[in-house]
Amino acid sequence: MSNLENQDWVYSDAVKDHFLNPRNFLMGDESQFKYDAVGQVGNPICGDQMRMYIKVDDGKITDVRWKTYGCASAIASTSALSELIKGKTLDDALQIDAKAIDDYLGNLPKHKFHCSVLGSDALKNAIDNYHKAHHSQEGSLKKARPPKDEQAKP
Amino acid sequence: MVYLDYAATAPLLPEVLNKMHEAEVQFFANASALHTPGHLAMNEIEHTRELLARLIGASPDEIIFTSGASESNNTVIRTFEGCDIETSPLEHHSIIEAAAKYRGTHHPKLYSYMLANNETGEILDLSPIIARAKQAQAPHDSPLFEPMTEWGKPLVTDRRGAYVHSDLTQALGKIPIDVHSLGLDYATFSAHKIGGPIGIGALYVKKGVPFTPLIIGGNQEHKRRGGTYNTPAIVGFGAALEHLLVSDTCKEYSKRVANLRNHLAQAILNTIPGSSLNTDLAPGKSLPNILNVSFQAAEGESIQLYLDAEGIIVSTGSACAAGDTKPSHVLMAKTGDAEVAHSSIRFSFGLESTKQDVDKVMAVLPDIIKRLQLISTVKMEDKSCQI
Repeated sequence: MSNLENQDWVYSDAVKDHFLNPRNFLMGDESQFKYDAVGQVGNPICGDQMRMYIKVDDGKITDVRWKTYGCASAIASTSALSELIKGKTLDDALQIDAKAIDDYLGNLPKHKFHCSVLGSDALKNAIDNYHKAHHSQEGSLKKARPPKDEQAKP
Repeated sequence: MVYLDYAATAPLLPEVLNKMHEAEVQFFANASALHTPGHLAMNEIEHTRELLARLIGASPDEIIFTSGASESNNTVIRTFEGCDIETSPLEHHSIIEAAAKYRGTHHPKLYSYMLANNETGEILDLSPIIARAKQAQAPHDSPLFEPMTEWGKPLVTDRRGAYVHSDLTQALGKIPIDVHSLGLDYATFSAHKIGGPIGIGALYVKKGVPFTPLIIGGNQEHKRRGGTYNTPAIVGFGAALEHLLVSDTCKEYSKRVANLRNHLAQAILNTIPGSSLNTDLAPGKSLPNILNVSFQAAEGESIQLYLDAEGIIVSTGSACAAGDTKPSHVLMAKTGDAEVAHSSIRFSFGLESTKQDVDKVMAVLPDIIKRLQLISTVKMEDKSCQI
């Protein structure tokens, strides 16, 4: 997409790569992806909102999609996180915190670190919702969604 | 590169660069010195002063050179330290923050309203503010500015109850300016918005109005602004002002540049779902070179950086907001909608802008917005499409 890819850019190369070539994003309607749980944080009014959709098999995240309204760092953070958690057990995925995302992206600027926090929180919210639905349904798993009034805010 | 961020700063005009280079070599001497090289440097400085005065309908001795618009704005606000200062949330931060820190309750009152908004280009009708200032009665005992007379100039002869300052930084060269017709007591200008260098600006101070220097400790500018003259920058400012006068830039902006701006606005509205204008395109309602647009469900910085990756340079509203995750204070004040403010882009044109620039924007912008809208958590159907 870029004709300036070999020149200096405001953020790290990894942020630039994940922003310009985002991985695992969900284009359009969520019916396009069969997921087991979704987590959401943020608010467009605050400038960033992220949603992580996870597919879980046998305790492992086998596939993931995301949607983000936000800045380049927010898009890059969710894209990076989607790469980091794919194939991980839910417990291992929970270990991937904001710092891990920040490290993976070659460090966000300080004033953008909150984007990696939001990404991590969106994942935690998704896994939490998965556990809630899994335990309440006892085998007849339904899609887990965050209650509308309990969506985490940055 | 397609550069559409002229409202943040304009590239140096070639003649400015040449004149500044000459000045660095020929007019290196301290312009305050009495010797010949100093005197020659001062002549160049006075030439710029006369040009600006002529362009805005002032007298040369009503012009004070500063380091730029922020200093000019701060100087006026500090002059009214402790006084009632009325301004608007649409102003530049150098007005808003200085006024918040230094305003009080004393008289005389200062009204500070910019003529043209940095982000939306909106032109404000200053006449109601001038009328209110004229009606204000001077208090019987107002000793606030008496000490200033010791600086040797008749600084306090006019003791009205209120004064008016306007930041004309964006307006200079884009629309005709006459400080007397506008009824101003103070006005702020900057060189780098008109193709001059960064780091030099000016303050118009009407004869007889209160004035307190911000920088003291020198005889420069008749003790109104201390510090060795930045001769090359002032010469560069003068070259940019000459360009405004010779090329009649206001006419060029009102016709050709306005057409380019309006063409881009129409193309965006016709092509991009969820787009809405934050700039009123009607003649006289906004500066002819600024277009502010919001794109529903797409965030401004992402739009800016996708465009940047395509070699198209725009702003997210105000360069001062970069590094700040808060939405633009101007668009918040104008729209009251944080999502609209977060999703805004400012295109600002210059005299070098062409139809090809607009075509290049429209070759990539629709796909960028579509992509961001598709991956966005914000659904397009959440709000009515405004095209």
